[in-house]
Amino acid sequence: MAELVLPYSRRCNYFFLYDGSKVRGESDQTREGICYFYPEETPLDRQELLCGQLAGAGRCVSELSSSPVRILNLHRNRFAIRMEDDLLWALGCSVEVPTVSVCELLDQLINLFCFYNGSVRHSYQLNSQETLASRWAQYLSHLQSGSSELQHIFSCLTTIDSTNVDPLLLLKAALILQACQRCPLVLAGCIIFRGRVVSTQMSPQLTMKLMVHESGTYTKPQRPNGQSSSFGSAVSSTAVFLTPSELQYLQSTPVDKDFSSHSTPHKNTPLKKTRLSRTLSDTPSSTESEPSDPGSSQSPQKLLSPHLSESSVYSSDPSQSTPNPPPPQPPEPPLSNGKHSSVEESLEESYYHSFHSNGEGGSQIDNGGDSSAFGENSHLNGGGVDGACGEEFNFRVAEESHDNKVSEEVSGRGCGRVQGHEVERPDPPRSDAFEHPGESPLIPMTLYLHRVKGLVLALLVEPHFLSDKASMEEVYHSSLASLNGLEAHLRSVSPGVPGAPGPYIFAHFDCIQSTLTSNLSGRPGGAPERPFVRATSLLHSHFCNTETLQEAIIRSAGAAVYGTRSVAQETYFQQHGGLLRNSGIPNHQDSAFSLPGKARHRLLKHGVNLL
Amino acid sequence: MKCLLISSQSAEVLFHWTDPEFYQNVQAQYVSSQEDGHGLPAFEDSISTLFAPIIISCITMVDRLGDSYTSFTTENNHIYVLHQFDECLYIAVNGDGEEGEGDLRRKIYVMKKMIEVMFGMVTLSSNLLKRELRPQDTEQRARLWEHLQSLLETYSHLRENDQSFLVEAVERLIHPTLCEQCIEFLERRLVQQLNSSVERAGEEVLHAFILVHTKLLAFYSSRNASTLSTSDLLALIIMSQNMYPSNTDQDDPNPEDIESTSGSGPESFYTPEPSPTDMDSRSSADMPVRESTPLFEFVDPDVQMAEDSLHTLEVPPPDPSTPRRVFLEVSLKDGLFPMMPHSMYCLPLWPGITLVLLTKIPTSAVAMSVYTFLEAFAKLEKRLNEGQEGPAATRGQPTIHDIRSKLDKFIKALGASEIQSAQLQNVWTDFKNRIGRGGPGFNRELIHSCKNMKTQLCGVYRQCFLIESGTADSPRRLSPGLQERAQTMVQDKLMDWKDFLLVKSKRNITMVSYLEDFPGLIHFICVDRSTGQMIAPSLNITERNVSELGKGPLAQFIKSKVWSLVSTTRRYLQKGYSTVTLRDGDFYFCYFLWFENETGYKLEAGDIPVLPDDSAPIGMLAWDYYRKLLRYYSKNHQGEVVKCYELLTVHLGVIPTEVILQHCRQLASKLWEPSRNPLL
Repeated sequence: MAELVLPYSRRCNYFFLYDGSKVRGESDQTREGICYFYPEETPLDRQELLCGQLAGAGRCVSELSSSPVRILNLHRNRFAIRMEDDLLWALGCSVEVPTVSVCELLDQLINLFCFYNGSVRHSYQLNSQETLASRWAQYLSHLQSGSSELQHIFSCLTTIDSTNVDPLLLLKAALILQACQRCPLVLAGCIIFRGRVVSTQMSPQLTMKLMVHESGTYTKPQRPNGQSSSFGSAVSSTAVFLTPSELQYLQSTPVDKDFSSHSTPHKNTPLKKTRLSRTLSDTPSSTESEPSDPGSSQSPQKLLSPHLSESSVYSSDPSQSTPNPPPPQPPEPPLSNGKHSSVEESLEESYYHSFHSNGEGGSQIDNGGDSSAFGENSHLNGGGVDGACGEEFNFRVAEESHDNKVSEEVSGRGCGRVQGHEVERPDPPRSDAFEHPGESPLIPMTLYLHRVKGLVLALLVEPHFLSDKASMEEVYHSSLASLNGLEAHLRSVSPGVPGAPGPYIFAHFDCIQSTLTSNLSGRPGGAPERPFVRATSLLHSHFCNTETLQEAIIRSAGAAVYGTRSVAQETYFQQHGGLLRNSGIPNHQDSAFSLPGKARHRLLKHGVNLL
Repeated sequence: MKCLLISSQSAEVLFHWTDPEFYQNVQAQYVSSQEDGHGLPAFEDSISTLFAPIIISCITMVDRLGDSYTSFTTENNHIYVLHQFDECLYIAVNGDGEEGEGDLRRKIYVMKKMIEVMFGMVTLSSNLLKRELRPQDTEQRARLWEHLQSLLETYSHLRENDQSFLVEAVERLIHPTLCEQCIEFLERRLVQQLNSSVERAGEEVLHAFILVHTKLLAFYSSRNASTLSTSDLLALIIMSQNMYPSNTDQDDPNPEDIESTSGSGPESFYTPEPSPTDMDSRSSADMPVRESTPLFEFVDPDVQMAEDSLHTLEVPPPDPSTPRRVFLEVSLKDGLFPMMPHSMYCLPLWPGITLVLLTKIPTSAVAMSVYTFLEAFAKLEKRLNEGQEGPAATRGQPTIHDIRSKLDKFIKALGASEIQSAQLQNVWTDFKNRIGRGGPGFNRELIHSCKNMKTQLCGVYRQCFLIESGTADSPRRLSPGLQERAQTMVQDKLMDWKDFLLVKSKRNITMVSYLEDFPGLIHFICVDRSTGQMIAPSLNITERNVSELGKGPLAQFIKSKVWSLVSTTRRYLQKGYSTVTLRDGDFYFCYFLWFENETGYKLEAGDIPVLPDDSAPIGMLAWDYYRKLLRYYSKNHQGEVVKCYELLTVHLGVIPTEVILQHCRQLASKLWEPSRNPLL
């Protein structure tokens, strides 16, 4: 095979920030304009060469076209460029990396910097270049770290393997976040375990930003006694900056702080008991039912594992090309934003009903059985039936708010699609890719972090939260025990035996949650996987650039890969073997053309519904 | 917003073409930067100033980083593609979204191909080529650029509207009986008669073909001629279209067509060969003018060759019987010779129908010798550059000793002719002295010497073939009378068919004949890459001519889908994918590339090389990708004739995939059968 096998040992070859305003006069040296250059060991004259030439040529092109340069290709490197006023960022990758991904990486990097430091100009006035250099380095290394090449292609969020974790733990994590949100100063939160998202209330883009800080500290040696309840050692905080749209988005999420009071009377006790009695011990019955009968088990799936259920909800309509959110069938989330209490009630009923009928089997186990896992719930809600009630409700809200986000994003992006129909859009379809942190005013917020060994609770809070001792203590104490419990459980989860390679490879990208499901081992540069990864990256770029494209099959001598996408997801599938007999002539018996059928069939058991 | 610029490394404009929008954009930038506003600089200077930073940065990057720009994209989707051939930097720009990066790169390569066809091996010496592309005389320069600009516009128009230029393969008129009759006529009557005439002045007709618009009615090659490559044939079709544009305007009042072809009417064509009669007087008369314009004048002492000869290319007279000098590839049993001189006679029969004659000129053997020497010096230079020691390098194949005596003889023969070869003689003597010497710095000096030899050889070649060498009273060409006779003969032959042919060329094959057998099929293109021919239902989208696709926006939409499908599949092919199916909106697209042996047996799919993004465009016009692909594939099929086919189909999306694939299979096996008559 004449193909170029390029292990992504380093995702980014060059990155620099160049400030043209410092190099104005004839006598000014290029090096004065270099704010940061990666790799830092690059000889200075080469740094100057790259910065000077790229900035010069970039400015010239920008003037000719009266628009900033976005992409600059060399024979061996592909640079994503961002120009704002006199500042120029350039991030160079190998030309093998698709343009979409390079641009996305640069946007992520700049957005990260602005999230933790505020506007670039301003932070360079406040801090020394060395301090900020170490930050750029930290963010770069975070973005390049560990994850597989597939994850780089989609720039997706690293989540815990939801198929391997008890869904109740995910629920529990969501509940912890709900509880914290009852403090009015808490905007939203996210729980991360060993660098992987367990549960989040924020958009994937915002969650990714939190991850940096988390993983940065996570890699440092752990405090021997992380559980120590000495308030200060496990808890830290840092200033962060949100863009207006991010803030608006968080605030628009209907977290109705006193919603519980009027919704509680509707609940009926036996059901609640059933609800609460779901414990770790009886999960097998419910998880078993998921793959075998995805249709009817949608609501419990939804209840137990948001990750899985999201995908199945959306994938139920693979041919969907309209930008509208999926049709509101009863167990599915309410779609419109804003108040919808009547809908909610009816939804709740069907919701409970389906849950009840489905979970009947092993659900009668007594409350006592789950003490270890759920004992601390009483802290949250005052215990007893009311507590359960509140929790019940809170969970609904969690679902609700989450779904609202989803639908919001769907419709938001959908609009973009419709409008940009005629125009090729090379820009990545990320909501915050279009923001220009240098221009828009950033709103200071605080990131509150509570660490329990490998587990981190990250909350976005109003800045005066830190001075509000009572709120802080409330949040701390209300979540402490739950976090300990969650950590203990997550820690005990065996790292999941990677399934036998199987006769096929797939990758399923959920564009809404920005998560990736794949049976591909994370090993870099696995030779048999290369064709799949290469095809996926090509197809993903094609999908990004062609709004109307729904499915594609492409075949080289060695591999045939099927890709399909809807508004909410992209799925890629490759079957091993069976290609040698093909001559490349059109032939309907060709195995490549049976890929769509096989993908639909095979991926069901991974929770991917392509029907 | 389109532009194509060729620049030297010192940011000197060697050629530029812009559309009106880009022109205005450049002027506007100049107005804003020049506040005093007294008089805008010449456009050429403005464009040079605006692009200079990019050009200089490009050169710096190559020098210091060994890497250089291939493209820029701005946020408002302006695309700049850059490519450097030797010392000439090509920059193509698009700011209206009509062309992608691939299209621009293709345009650059096509421009280079056209320059090669026009200037032959002179393109191998950057110094000479620079002078050729930028004549000192401004009037002459304007004329040359106008000609190149109109060629480029003709090409762009064809690429945007003609399927055969979309896929870069020749389309034949499907009418087997008439085709056969015509071929026979060309062979038995026309070519025989021409080649036995005394008025042919030593020229020999090698190829003769009849074009109806861009489609080939008949093609005949004489027995001792080598095959004409598809790349050259396509380039010749562009040239003939440029001379005699198909007046699609007559039945197609599409303003676009008028705009893009209006500048290339027959009255504005350009002939590089000067009239022998007034050559001397003009060249001396223009001397002072040239000296008074030392624009970026740069004289390399090594290139001080036969200075006078460089200035003889002067104002050409618009004599329609003067043939065009074209440089085409010739493959003989002793090897492949690129850029061999031919004369091209383009004889209009009726509007839209043209007879093209390609003749071998009597001195073409000189070109072969020059090419052999050039190749030898190039190889030696390469070995020296790779660090081989001088004496060892000279012993490589072919050895300098091999060519030594040949070159001595060659120079001696030149001395007897009217070609100025004193400079070549000097440089050769110097080279021979040097090679015997050795010592420190030997390699570097020898490399320098090699370069000099190459330049001098190109110079001799230029004198021989770019400048008319006949004497005043007996120009070396088929006599005007003979040309006229040829024209009349073919006219008589085709008189009754003329109107039929003009209609046929617009509706060569139509989808109607396929609808019954292939329900749901909207369009297809089938290409035989081994012969460089294609078949596709006509896609004429004009106001008055209604095709089966209907007219107006729907037909335009399908056309744009077909065009984008071709560029998409090329991108996948570039990355090694030979089968692509796409469900896009309401359509289902298929693309297949496969190999067969001579008997039609389907060969197994092989590896297709994976190429970088900035590699030469996939096609046959500028750079024959498929020839290389066939060579690559044939490595595993020694002793077998391998053929390569492509099929693209557009179906309605509602048709089940199995049916679509069955259609494709039937089309693939059926298409070439009924019309398997040897044409090329």
